[in-house]
Amino acid sequence: MDRRPPALELRGVNKHYGPVTALRSVDLRLERHEVLGLIGENGAGKSTLISVINGTVSPSEGQLLAGGNIVSLGSPADAARAGIATVFQEQGLVASLPVFENILLGREAGFSRGGVLSRKAMARFAADVLNELGIAIDPFAITGSLAFGERQLVEIAKAFALGRIYPVEPVILLDEPTSALSDAETQILFNSIRRWRGKASIILVSHRLSDVFAVCDRVAALKDGTVNGTWPVSEVTADTLHEAIVGRPRSAGYYKESEQREDFGEIVLEVRDLVVPGQIEGVSLTVRAGEILGVAGVLGSGKTALGHAITGAVAGKGEIAVDGRRLRPGSRAAALAADVGSVPAERNSAGVIGMHSVEWNLTLPSLKSFRRWRWPVLSAKKQAGVTDDWIRRLRVRTPNRAIQIRNLSGGNAQKVVFAKWLARGIRLFVLDDPGRGLDVGAKEEIYALLRKLAREGVAIVLISDNLPEIIGLSNRILTLRAGKISAELAAPAHDKPAETAVVTHMV
Amino acid sequence: METGVTHSSPATAHPGKWIARHAVSLYPILVIAALAVFFTLQNPYFMTFDNIMNIGRQSSVLLLVALAGTMVIMIGSIDLSVGSAVTLAGIVTALMIDDFGPVAAVAAGIGTGLIVGFVNGVILISLKVPSFLVTLGTLSILSGIANMICGGSSIMFMDMGLTDFVNAELIPGIPNIILLALAAAAVLSFVAFNTVLGRYLFAIGGGEIVAANSGVPVERYKVFAFMLSGALCGLSGVLLTAQVGAGTPAAGANMLLDSIAAIVMGGTSLSGGVGGPHRTILGVLVIAILSNGMDVTEVSSFTQEVIKGLVIILAVASTMDRRKYAFIK
Repeated sequence: MDRRPPALELRGVNKHYGPVTALRSVDLRLERHEVLGLIGENGAGKSTLISVINGTVSPSEGQLLAGGNIVSLGSPADAARAGIATVFQEQGLVASLPVFENILLGREAGFSRGGVLSRKAMARFAADVLNELGIAIDPFAITGSLAFGERQLVEIAKAFALGRIYPVEPVILLDEPTSALSDAETQILFNSIRRWRGKASIILVSHRLSDVFAVCDRVAALKDGTVNGTWPVSEVTADTLHEAIVGRPRSAGYYKESEQREDFGEIVLEVRDLVVPGQIEGVSLTVRAGEILGVAGVLGSGKTALGHAITGAVAGKGEIAVDGRRLRPGSRAAALAADVGSVPAERNSAGVIGMHSVEWNLTLPSLKSFRRWRWPVLSAKKQAGVTDDWIRRLRVRTPNRAIQIRNLSGGNAQKVVFAKWLARGIRLFVLDDPGRGLDVGAKEEIYALLRKLAREGVAIVLISDNLPEIIGLSNRILTLRAGKISAELAAPAHDKPAETAVVTHMV
Repeated sequence: METGVTHSSPATAHPGKWIARHAVSLYPILVIAALAVFFTLQNPYFMTFDNIMNIGRQSSVLLLVALAGTMVIMIGSIDLSVGSAVTLAGIVTALMIDDFGPVAAVAAGIGTGLIVGFVNGVILISLKVPSFLVTLGTLSILSGIANMICGGSSIMFMDMGLTDFVNAELIPGIPNIILLALAAAAVLSFVAFNTVLGRYLFAIGGGEIVAANSGVPVERYKVFAFMLSGALCGLSGVLLTAQVGAGTPAAGANMLLDSIAAIVMGGTSLSGGVGGPHRTILGVLVIAILSNGMDVTEVSSFTQEVIKGLVIILAVASTMDRRKYAFIK
């Protein structure tokens, strides 16, 4: 091993958000010129850890060293001076600026003469960096006109530019870099990473094991905010990593397969030739009462748009019918009239109103049913009764119904999202990543709830990034690729398809 | 996102925490109490029944305008045209009163406000222009129309029926205008918390996407909010004209800033979703007491402006719930 100190070292990092522990005594080393994979489920703490390293989040306790020197925590500027650069999922580039300006954004100081920037010198510098990295992108191109993968390379170039401005070798944090890339773009990225090995140290965050095996030297698994083990990639198997991420071998009980229905009722949802321009290119499917249909696909496959089209959030061409009645495209009102409920992926921005009480959130979709004798005045007593009833039935852990829902944990807030639809009564439930950000226990309760709904005859469309979840819960799985159904896989309780069998149809 | 925000821990019986949690509601009351004590010490006349009725008469119209603004700020939008709407409605009322009688004039005044609100709302949802800019435009348009109608000068009228009614005392000692304003505040406070309309407005302000996902017809209710605002401005214009005895082109000029200051001091966040009409009553009281108190203690009007500005900044700084602070949509 290199005698010089590691590129990055985290010692005893803890991070609490109120009562919630996001990181628990994390120790992590990134050797020089190493590519370290960081894997974990949603909510395992990957994003928090990245934010601690790049200074955007200040940990409750702990130490961060770069090249053997202590980096002051919670300071993005100090992290940048230590050469730490992050390439985010949602990109940090200004679309309207040319590439070279983005590469030097915020670091223009060295190119200023008497307060006037030398655009020529900046462009030359940027072109140099791009050349050195073997990235064939015109520095004068407007960033917004580039493909997603190209923009990601620009971000990486930006990180390397940092290493030239400050005399340090860059430490590059790649946050889920492949999730939005096509196969070909992923290959380009990985080839580049291999080429840059001698110039930078890299942490690659991913929830895809395939990324780790393709390009990483070592891998660290994060689980419930702690590092659950690190391995040289050459000595580890996918099963080991899986167990490290999930915390235990996948048990049959987790997804309540024993409660899975195999006989279904009448057709509830029928989608025929659905087209959402740019996102869905002709999808047809049916879901029956009591059936859970899983929809899997990578980002950009159209799986989110499919959910939005069914719930009326976006208008598509083609036909969507619930219980035989055709829904007006793009009309939430029509979907709601047909008793279509939805659990959005973005719970905090689309699922609950954080500043409002549990009661207000829970009663919102069914508010009109609380009117007295169809008068405009709402019955406070009835609202309180129904809310308390659902809090009890779903075992929502909340001190009372009047507390602002932002004080609840993710799992309990998610239960309220479920309850607000259950209180209204639904025929079809469209769920987008219902387990996102939830801990294992909360997930298990949500899964049990889904089984119960299916038993009661609700038709369920389950869209998710979480493959084990889709496989475990669904009766049937559709994989989407580039807006089309690439495969339909049966997933009966006794014969669940393997993850790899699903993945092959996704990429 | 919630990241990095510490939340007050819920459901504790501890008095200190109770106060901390209700600080937003308590502050305006404390400010009001402090101002009242201060002015009474300066001039005992301040605390007399006569003067309190004065405060009421002076602030009734402001209360109505601030309630109008509250309905719109609740949904996270803003209505900058309130002052102009008041002016226009007042002019229309003054113009109608002699020829068509007080009842028709009142209907026309309120109707004018209702139309203004409807137009504001429809522009907002159809052209997708932020409310700040829509109402900045209508602010200018309405003020222009009002001046075109009255030719820049006040419109007098003979029929004193309306004026008499506004100043009459249904409950002995309390002018009707105060009763009207308080009744409006009571009705709106009830509407805000106990009707579908009110709850939908809160939901839109709290999270438009969540509301839409939950089946709230967001756009329709946005128009409703602006129509409510318009109707209240119409009523304010009517009352102001009755009180003054003429329709004047500058009637609503100072209403906008005072009303927004009152709303925010009361505790309704500019980004929407929290607060409500009952809070606005307190905010209006702060401004009314401050103005009246400085009058009775003979502070010069220029100094008054400076002090009022300072108090507004201080009051808002101490009452505002920063967790909810965001840009005005």
